[in-house]
Amino acid sequence: MKTLKICAALAAVFAAGQVQAQGAPIKIGVVTPLTGTYAGIGQQVKWGIDMAIKEINDKGGIMGRKVEAIYEDEEANPNVAVQKAEKLFQVSKVDFLTGTVNSGSTLAVGQVAERNQRLAATTVSFSDAITGDKCSPNVFRVNAKAGMQSAALVEWMVKEKPSPSVFYLGPDYEMGRSTVAAFKSAAEKRGAKSVGEVFAPLDNKDYSPFFGQIRAARPQVLYTSVAGNDTVRFMSQLAEFGLAKNLQIVGAAGTVTAQNMKAIGKAADGYVTGAAYSAELDNPANKKFVADFKAAWKADPDLYGVDSYGVMYFYKAAVEKAGSTDTDKLRTAMRGLEWQTPQGKKTMRAGDHQAIQDMYAVKVTGGKFQIIAKVPGEAAVGPDTCTRF
Amino acid sequence: MTEILESLQFVYGPQVANGLAIGVAVILMALGLTIIFGLLDVINMSHGEFYALGAYLAVTLVGQGVNFWLCLALVPVAMAAIGYFTERALIQRVFHTKDRHILTLLLTFGLAIIAEDAFKLAYGPNPYKPESPISGASEILGIMLPNYRLFLIAAGGAIIVAVWLVVYRTTLGAMVRAAAWDKNMAASLGVPVERVYAGTFAFGVALAGLSGVLLAPIYSVFPTMGKDFILMAFTVVIVGGMGSIKGAVIAGLVLTQIQSISSLFISPVWSDPLVFGIMVLFLMVRPQGLAGRLGHG
Repeated sequence: MKTLKICAALAAVFAAGQVQAQGAPIKIGVVTPLTGTYAGIGQQVKWGIDMAIKEINDKGGIMGRKVEAIYEDEEANPNVAVQKAEKLFQVSKVDFLTGTVNSGSTLAVGQVAERNQRLAATTVSFSDAITGDKCSPNVFRVNAKAGMQSAALVEWMVKEKPSPSVFYLGPDYEMGRSTVAAFKSAAEKRGAKSVGEVFAPLDNKDYSPFFGQIRAARPQVLYTSVAGNDTVRFMSQLAEFGLAKNLQIVGAAGTVTAQNMKAIGKAADGYVTGAAYSAELDNPANKKFVADFKAAWKADPDLYGVDSYGVMYFYKAAVEKAGSTDTDKLRTAMRGLEWQTPQGKKTMRAGDHQAIQDMYAVKVTGGKFQIIAKVPGEAAVGPDTCTRF
Repeated sequence: MTEILESLQFVYGPQVANGLAIGVAVILMALGLTIIFGLLDVINMSHGEFYALGAYLAVTLVGQGVNFWLCLALVPVAMAAIGYFTERALIQRVFHTKDRHILTLLLTFGLAIIAEDAFKLAYGPNPYKPESPISGASEILGIMLPNYRLFLIAAGGAIIVAVWLVVYRTTLGAMVRAAAWDKNMAASLGVPVERVYAGTFAFGVALAGLSGVLLAPIYSVFPTMGKDFILMAFTVVIVGGMGSIKGAVIAGLVLTQIQSISSLFISPVWSDPLVFGIMVLFLMVRPQGLAGRLGHG
């Protein structure tokens, strides 16, 4: 009984030094689209974060402090995101900010974080610029960037078919041209031979006028970055013309999705893309995560859900390593930090604040994405191009 | 030499053949449009949405287990009824006013907007695609063409001939042409003009619905699909001569070939402006189009 009292007294003394640490909860600001076009993604972000926070609090919180999330709807609009982020930092006094979806919002919110001398992390935004030429000392990215997906796909392709001949077909606008250019340069560096490229108008009805060129070029691989209903038409028309035989079709991350896979039907079978996550991932941590997620939310987790779940463990590991929530100490702790996620071990690269993780080549088989190959993170992440810090 | 042969076989040959299939699709859309315009003097801005409605009806019926071929017969009948009702209930009300052109254009445009959102509410934003009822591809003179597109060319050709026969070789067609030529004279000779108007509108809408079913396995079905062919169909109607069946067929075939072949030499995004440029030229130089109006020659 006496020892217990001494312990309690000792604890009280230690606690006095960290009154705030013991008493007040750690506040996480989440600026994410809860309405509008990206509401579906925002929903996954919220599910992932809420689930991780519940787990962490059930096990005693972070350094004895409970964690609490404060949500703000940014409507997928960078202007709104900036106001909401400012409010979270100034009024709600949050310790850390996350949740932004579109890359414009992430870049804008990063500047708000710099002004407020706080740290922020994105779990969704793909734009290479966030950890490239527009990198910020206050912004971290725990998810894979766009370049890593195409790099993973290239790695798989050259392993499967050494020095393949590749034909490219993209939609004729900024995203379409930049994705084709990025994949093409990465593929050519690994010995692929480019045998032709076509840019079709966005919302193109009929792709058959391009099939003659594809047939004449006799490619082994066809890369495409069309999306939405354009994919439905393109892939089903390829199959209709018998072109899909003896041709490996690969493409960008958004080309075949859960939304259009059903309409593409059998023509989607065999399509391969690079991915940072699949719910089918075969490891104990992911199996548990998927089961818990389904039990809690009655829905399957996707890439956004798992990365938003993972960011909380990234933050927890960093705070515990730094022993503080102080911005400078935390930044130092986050650089080079290794932490565990359902996707496996991730490492935060110090030079550009980009997380390095294993990537996968996934193939559509009977309406599901199956993992067919793993590409080591170091091979996919590419050089550090951030020069600001 | 082999290179020239190869480009003929792999590039130009298929291009012409594919252009033909697309041409038939465009003509099917333009036919209904041009008949409604030629007779009723109404620019039907909701024609594309009637096409979409036909496709959605087919998706629904196929989902209920109805055979695709049966849909091809059922949907036009249902669409004709919808068209007849639309004409009697809505278009008739503004048809006899002084601002007929503007009012009918705005009315049908409004219908199009409502229909597009109704599709989103009823079927959601994601695309559907009925399985093609004829699979496989055939090789003709070394050119690969999917069997369903061959069927489309044949069926489309038959429909075009049938429409022409109905309009020019039947009493019904004669009544339609008479009403278009001189409404009052036709009425005094016992032609039920009002019903002929509604019937013609219904016929045009049924053609749009039929195109919707025929093209769904190739182009898929989604809420904004009504906008797909409508610009091209309007262009064909303008170049061919408003209300002319013959003109629509010629313009439809020529313009889609220009589009198809030009996309080999210029960036495909520019093949649409090229076709619309031809339309602008026609409006400036020969506004009546290739052929005259329905009932006028």
